Amino acid sequence: MAPTQLADVGAVALVASLAISIYVVIAALYSVRAKKPQFLASAENGIYLIAGLTTLAAAILEYALITNQFRFEYVATHTSSDQPLLYTISALWGGQEGSLLFWAWLLAIFAAIVLIQNRAQNRELIPAVTIFLAFTEGFFLLLVVLLASPFKLLEFTPAEGKGLNPLLQNPGMFIHPITLYLGYVGFTIPFAFALGALATGRLNDMWIRTTRRWALWSWLFLSLGLLFGMRWAYVVLGWGGYWGWDPVENSALIPWLTATAYLHSVMIQEKRGMLKIWNHVLIMLTFILSILGTFLTRSGIVQSVHAFGVGQMGPFFLAFIGLVVLGFLYLLYARLGDLREENELHSLLSREATFLLNNLLFVGAAFATLWGTIFPMISELVTGNQISVAAPFFNQVNGPIFLALILLMGICTLIGWRRASPEKLAHNFGKPFIAALGIVIALFFLSIRDLAGLIAFGIAAFVMGSLLIEYYRGIRARVRQYNENALVALLNLVQKNRRRYGGYVVHIGIVLAVIGITGSTLYQREQQYNFKPGETISFEQYTLTFEGLQMTPAANRDIIAARLKVTENGNPIGTLTPSKDYYRAADQNTTEVAIRSTLREDLYLILAGWTNDGTATIKIVINPLVTWLWIGFGVFICGTIIAALPDPREAIVRAPSRVREAASAA
Amino acid sequence: MQNVIATPDIRATTSPRAGSLKFLIAGVLIVAAMAFAVLASFQDNTVYYLTLPEFSAQKAKFAGQVVRVNGPLDQASIQLDQKTMVLKFNMKDGGIVQPVVYKGVVPDTLTNGESVVAEGKLDAQGVFQANSILVKCPSKYEESK
Repeated sequence: MAPTQLADVGAVALVASLAISIYVVIAALYSVRAKKPQFLASAENGIYLIAGLTTLAAAILEYALITNQFRFEYVATHTSSDQPLLYTISALWGGQEGSLLFWAWLLAIFAAIVLIQNRAQNRELIPAVTIFLAFTEGFFLLLVVLLASPFKLLEFTPAEGKGLNPLLQNPGMFIHPITLYLGYVGFTIPFAFALGALATGRLNDMWIRTTRRWALWSWLFLSLGLLFGMRWAYVVLGWGGYWGWDPVENSALIPWLTATAYLHSVMIQEKRGMLKIWNHVLIMLTFILSILGTFLTRSGIVQSVHAFGVGQMGPFFLAFIGLVVLGFLYLLYARLGDLREENELHSLLSREATFLLNNLLFVGAAFATLWGTIFPMISELVTGNQISVAAPFFNQVNGPIFLALILLMGICTLIGWRRASPEKLAHNFGKPFIAALGIVIALFFLSIRDLAGLIAFGIAAFVMGSLLIEYYRGIRARVRQYNENALVALLNLVQKNRRRYGGYVVHIGIVLAVIGITGSTLYQREQQYNFKPGETISFEQYTLTFEGLQMTPAANRDIIAARLKVTENGNPIGTLTPSKDYYRAADQNTTEVAIRSTLREDLYLILAGWTNDGTATIKIVINPLVTWLWIGFGVFICGTIIAALPDPREAIVRAPSRVREAASAA
Repeated sequence: MQNVIATPDIRATTSPRAGSLKFLIAGVLIVAAMAFAVLASFQDNTVYYLTLPEFSAQKAKFAGQVVRVNGPLDQASIQLDQKTMVLKFNMKDGGIVQPVVYKGVVPDTLTNGESVVAEGKLDAQGVFQANSILVKCPSKYEESK
């Protein structure tokens, strides 16, 4: 097909999807009002149809990208014929129009999956869920139809495209937006069920149980998105760090924080029938902040509020967010009487209390980060001058909050539900506390003398101790009771209660990450040197010999690399080649750092520049313990997957739903 | 950790609002502590973000103060001493020309950057001593225009 025909089909598919999503909202509403279930069936078919049509639209755009149809404005501005196929594929979500289409497409697929999952259950909630999903879908379709059409054609066909931004041509950047968007979009599902519960008055914890996996997988993908983003910053941006409190990074972290609070607080509702309103509010915040995150990344508003008017998208997002919040608050207010707590909190020394504190801290960190992120825009609106907030603000506020959260992670595992007796507590705290004290004293003699480091490592040791004791106890109980050997007991322990022990694996991962973050934040060293060819320079235990620059042309870029032979304490550890890549189509350089990782520290080399006589300027950075951050993330992800996989106990819970509802009503 | 079916006794317990006050007090204290932390560190870490004409008009007000200035980059003025890694360039907006000096790793996007955000302060000679510079592209995820 000719580009014009392809573009027409794509544009028509999107307009049709928009029309159908409006129909779905109306039909599902009518089915409830007029008690005509056939209209709900029709609305559900509408969702499936939207899934099909948006898939077609995304496929057309992807086809146009891969076949370099530069007549498409989006293709011409985001690909070039010489760039690797991988990044031509990822150009689908590399720009504004494409990424909004990607959002709409993912949501349509998710909506269809939800309806298939719930064909025989939760039928009372489905009309409201369908209405909200179609409403949100309609919003994103409206944006791609009215404001940011990916199927806009140019008057002529350019000979060559501009190519994807070279900074984005990295495998991490291929996967980072996908995972981030899977997370953002996924939170729409639990929120839709929360609204369904409010709309129908079925306010037991069924909506939470039904969407637990959706929330958990979305959270996992958001975490992966953060991980890939950090990794990308570390290996591609080449400033030696992985987190800069950049507004774009923050806008992914903020919903992650509220989602983490939500994952914890729903346990209190499931166990004790408490925090019902709070849980509704948390999932609403997570959804809104995901939308806000999409908006902040996509609109350019971060640079200046003036982009708000220019981009046209601002008012649309504001109106959508406003409508959702108002609708939510109205429903919540109408149901306040039915959201009474079923239990009371008794003691500040209880696991419930630690969960409450955890929630306050997570939400506090989310608001502090949000405040620092949007303050420049607010100040510009109010005073005309933009006042921005630097990274130290985020570190000063969030550092202590995060450390308190980590400490709480350890306390929580040691403290009982309802009311803990001081004697029991003292007994439980003893061993981890001694472990922490031992570590702190050892570190002190290893000449780590700064307070922040000692506190952070001490807390990490305390939490790790408490988690290991928890595993030890579980294993010992099984060994005694069933005569299993320790390894079998461990596997069975996790298998029998994946949610709990998977959660503990997540916590272990976080402790490891804390070790990495503490080491690389507090003890980073860096130095910049000018190397003449053949010159040798020593930095701490490393000796670097510069062998010269070499240029290698690649398909779409020229690579200029500095070869450095490195020895550590006199032992050769190989040649490192930090380089700069010059991308011809974009006329832009990217920095390719060279990293030599060990569990102890990373040696991180940046080629900062060179002169005509062959002298190279190399920045040497030593990042202690940073590998533990990535290891911790790996453990964290395994733990989340363990907790998200089906749990045999839950199958038993799910079957007699009437029985449980009777129990919760009692 | 018991599942819900096994613990109907917990759900059935109801009691008067005896314990809620201490929770309220504890909660308020923690929220207040966080709010205080935000306000306290906010004061020390805010930096004015100004366009070149705004900065130029208020030079006296911002003398010696760290600010962020955003201005169009005069490509012709870029001088980089590779030996010392000292970068000199001008921001130029209409008739306003502001020389900037920066020492450090030069951003890759400088040579085709349109505008620059420099953070630092003005010295006595009227030269802007930048301790960090950011070459502007619309968004990290948007292609640079």
